[in-house]
Amino acid sequence: MVLIIKDEYPDKLFREDGKRLDGRDKNELRPIKMEVGVIKNADGSAYLEWGNNKIFAAVYGPREVHPHHLAKPDRGILRVFYRMATYSVFDRKRPAPGRREKEISMIISDCIEPVLFLELYPGTSFEVFIEVIDADGGTRCASTIVASLALADAGVPMKSLVTAVAVGKIDGEIVVDLSGIEDKAGDADLPLAITWFNNEISLLQFDGTMDAEEFDTCLTLGKEAAEKIYKIQLDTLRSKYISIQESVSEISNTSGGEE
Amino acid sequence: MMDVKRVISTIERKYIINNLKKEERIDGRGLWEYREFKIDSDMVASAEGSADVMLGETRIITGLKYDVGSPFPDLPDAGVCTIMAELLPLASPLFERGPPDEQSIELARVVDRGIRHADCVQTKKLCIKEKEAVYILFVDMYVINHGGNLIDCGGVSALATLISAHIPEGIYTENGIEWTGNYLTGEDIVNELPLVLTYGKIDDIIFLDPSLPEELVCDGKISISVTEDKITSIQKSGATTFSFDEIRMLGQKTIEIGKELRNKLNFWQYKVKID
Repeated sequence: MVLIIKDEYPDKLFREDGKRLDGRDKNELRPIKMEVGVIKNADGSAYLEWGNNKIFAAVYGPREVHPHHLAKPDRGILRVFYRMATYSVFDRKRPAPGRREKEISMIISDCIEPVLFLELYPGTSFEVFIEVIDADGGTRCASTIVASLALADAGVPMKSLVTAVAVGKIDGEIVVDLSGIEDKAGDADLPLAITWFNNEISLLQFDGTMDAEEFDTCLTLGKEAAEKIYKIQLDTLRSKYISIQESVSEISNTSGGEE
Repeated sequence: MMDVKRVISTIERKYIINNLKKEERIDGRGLWEYREFKIDSDMVASAEGSADVMLGETRIITGLKYDVGSPFPDLPDAGVCTIMAELLPLASPLFERGPPDEQSIELARVVDRGIRHADCVQTKKLCIKEKEAVYILFVDMYVINHGGNLIDCGGVSALATLISAHIPEGIYTENGIEWTGNYLTGEDIVNELPLVLTYGKIDDIIFLDPSLPEELVCDGKISISVTEDKITSIQKSGATTFSFDEIRMLGQKTIEIGKELRNKLNFWQYKVKID
């Protein structure tokens, strides 16, 4: 089936039956699929499909810092490069990195840094490259998730994973995980990320208008949604090691038989 | 398989060369054998056509976007198809951030020439109104993992992307472009199916589809683009020389292997159906 996204904004973001345009309930997430170790050359990598979002992340490091003056003598540095493919959006994006990409790179880097033990790696850098192949709303949250998975896959010591999700207001109702259309046509958008080692918020942006009560609901719904995603992240990492364990025990079983 | 990420040691280099001299390769292939191609198409919803091609461990994801613009003055009734390549720093420690370097420009140019000179894209069909409006197609290749031989993988990826194309059909009116609701598909715009085949050369041994370790130790490479029965473009790269006989032999061989590969990949299975 051919997927064709139209650049039109609907008048209403809820259907007659009270569900959202893509058939979801207010606190329902889009389907999520994660995988780690997808890029063989990288020290660690991950891939995420979240609705129509398709994102790769790769981690290289600890390695030498380029340019050299960025290196810090007492700790390592984390550099995140968030990029979008030219064909990942409705109007072709210019190939050179724009202001938006640079800002999001910084936001994600600041969001993830608290979970790393950078003081253990003086003079080196960890570089996280994020490439958005297909975008449909919430790429900064999705990128945060996939970057933290890639770091874990690279075996970088971490206090915990990081999970991010967007909560927003569409047609006056609070909903979680905004799709591309809901993001553009909605009233408010609040991406937030949680670092699980201290259960605190490490990424928070907000655009739109909301009263204090609505804001409170957003935070509650956001945490609930993040917990669901966190579980998938953990399962993804576990399944990699389970599959390695299985293949090892298979080998030892067969070689044991020969003896 | 060798786990090569950045440099090749002298002992590995010797191992690869000594094996090639015995007509054996480190991954068990014959000299004229390709690694396995895996192709997935039209998986990027935002693009007007896309392909995810893996050649062994090399992986390139290509997408198609379009724009409407004015034609070149010397070709008033022809659309434009441009090809770009980006070697993402995510794909290999050998790639660095920054503006396109020689390697990525060579990749884009060689793939582009193979397609351009083969009468592959029907540029006349991309004309909306002579002298006024034509489609400009952007075929953008992103290297996701570098496992050697980016050019052949890119060529297949660009072709599969063009075949999976679905571009909204527009007609020219006084008030601008009106969209008919129909689509121009790969079937409408693609004619010939060009393939580009790359050979590596070490001493006087020539082999098809160099993998990354082979690419890192080889003296030079040659990429030959072919259609069903014609050679359409050649690029020799690296500091080596090829004899006249070798070039003649490779021309012949490329048409033969190209024919086989074209049948095997069966490109038209990637065209989209629109109801």
